Amino acid sequence: MFEPVPPSYWVALSAALFAAGAVGVLTRRSAILVFLSVELMLNAANLSLVAFANRWADAGAAVAMSGQTVVFVVLAIAAAEVAVGLGILVAIFRDRASTDVDVLSEVRS
Amino acid sequence: MIVPPDGLVLGGIAPALTLLVAAATALILGTVRADARQGGAVALLGLAAAAVFAVRNLVDPGAHGATFGVQWVVDGASAGLAVAILVGTFLAVLLSWDAPVARVGDRPEFHPLLLLAATGGIAMVHAGDFVVLLLGLEILSLSVYALSAWRTGVREGEEAGMKYFLLGAFASAILIYGVALTYGATGAFDFASIGAALAAGAPGPLALLGGAFVLVGLGFKVSFAPFHQWAPDVYTGAPTPVTAFMSVVVKVAAFGALLRVASEAWPATVPSLDLMLAILVALTLVVGNLGALLQSGAKRMLGYSAVAHAGYLGLAVLAAGQGLASPTTVVWYLLAYTFMNLGAFAVTHLVMHDDPQGDRIEAWQGLGARKPGLAIAMTLFLFSLAGFPPLAGFFGKALAVRAAFDAGWSSLAVLALLAAVVAVVYYTRFVFAMWFARAPRAIEVAPSDAARWAVGLAAAGTVAMGLFPDVWYALVEGAGAALALVP
Repeated sequence: MFEPVPPSYWVALSAALFAAGAVGVLTRRSAILVFLSVELMLNAANLSLVAFANRWADAGAAVAMSGQTVVFVVLAIAAAEVAVGLGILVAIFRDRASTDVDVLSEVRS
Repeated sequence: MIVPPDGLVLGGIAPALTLLVAAATALILGTVRADARQGGAVALLGLAAAAVFAVRNLVDPGAHGATFGVQWVVDGASAGLAVAILVGTFLAVLLSWDAPVARVGDRPEFHPLLLLAATGGIAMVHAGDFVVLLLGLEILSLSVYALSAWRTGVREGEEAGMKYFLLGAFASAILIYGVALTYGATGAFDFASIGAALAAGAPGPLALLGGAFVLVGLGFKVSFAPFHQWAPDVYTGAPTPVTAFMSVVVKVAAFGALLRVASEAWPATVPSLDLMLAILVALTLVVGNLGALLQSGAKRMLGYSAVAHAGYLGLAVLAAGQGLASPTTVVWYLLAYTFMNLGAFAVTHLVMHDDPQGDRIEAWQGLGARKPGLAIAMTLFLFSLAGFPPLAGFFGKALAVRAAFDAGWSSLAVLALLAAVVAVVYYTRFVFAMWFARAPRAIEVAPSDAARWAVGLAAAGTVAMGLFPDVWYALVEGAGAALALVP
């Protein structure tokens, strides 16, 4: 029999994912990759929500289930962001055939 | 009143529901006949109806109680902020009424998106837990991302949309992670339970980290320094009516949410979160005011001015969050800010007249001689933003500074007073250009009567709030309360 992986390991994994996503946002040049990094951060949050729900399992079904339910809310938020974000990306790409965020610096005066 | 069997009271969510219905109606009508004014008319009707419900909540908040358990809070502050959002949206619809002239709103989705953004904002200010807050924030943000990228084919517009979207999504992800950590530390999503759990014992690093991430995520939305960089860029690149809308509605909604989180979820026994907020406020006051000094375009200057005002609002939130000042201070300031800031952008919209460079200080020269009405209105707005009595902005800043003194943040209050002196310089530069410089050319302004109405209404609001500050204060705080600047 395998021992179950303790929740704290999952939380640590989600922190690592979140950090990787944040680094990606700050260093990547392509808008698509920046956006993918944001998705990584959102999924890190989801993973930690599920892990914490496991941790609160003894506190009663209402407390534990609320964490798992919020995961679905965050999934819906992420999907909506993809729809709007890719729409904006496509509009820009059509105009200039590049998604390099460094090209996006003309607004600065 | 309609009370469904499970005890859900619809009065509290009526303003948001009304806007949702109006947005859907305008969208459906837009597929039948693509006419921006038809969408605008539906929007104005929907906003007026929603305002009736919001004022009803404001006058009589207790009767409707907290709907959905504790998650949709109806009190003076939330109803007052909902009214401010509706006023800001109403003026923004007027501003974009003659859409073809300004090349915004010439597609039927424009006004429904404004209404959806306002719906999200109203959800944020009524939120009693992080789930409603997140949903409201995303409904608001996704609509505004699309609106700020409205001018397809115009590079600045697309860049504004892209930048705002990427940074906004980044901020949302940080906020959501903060919410997850807070849940890990307290086992709750609603503010009251989180506050109780944090007050019960010394909060661990998990709770503090969660609080810090939530603060950073909301700090992006309210444009606290050092997370403010998007604001001047996006304000410049977005179409001016959209800038006018987002500069007030996003700010009202995000500060409403921050006020609720700071006062209910972060108890006074956790001083480190207040300290973090105080550091952000100090940075914001300095960066916003110094940044605005260097700008030669009105939209960029107003972008930095929005950052500076976030500093004053942050002061009020800081004091109200500790329970040492009334939340009404924040609500009062935000309605005043709605009138004066939206008014300033409305005049800018008229003066720019479709010229992307038309907001530079040269374009304002001689406006006083050529278009005295517009110049008088702009002078009022800028003087109010600078905080000259007896205009609305004066009481806003004075209330915020007094709240900071009351709460014991004397050094921050002194910094805010010094910053107010600096602010006079960059606002009056534009006033001098309007009245004391010769016009280099004939001045053409956009021929939009509806936008002129928006300017007039905003000016009336700015003056009325300055002359009768007690009226709005008593409405929000409860009958009989009076605004007092000295204890």
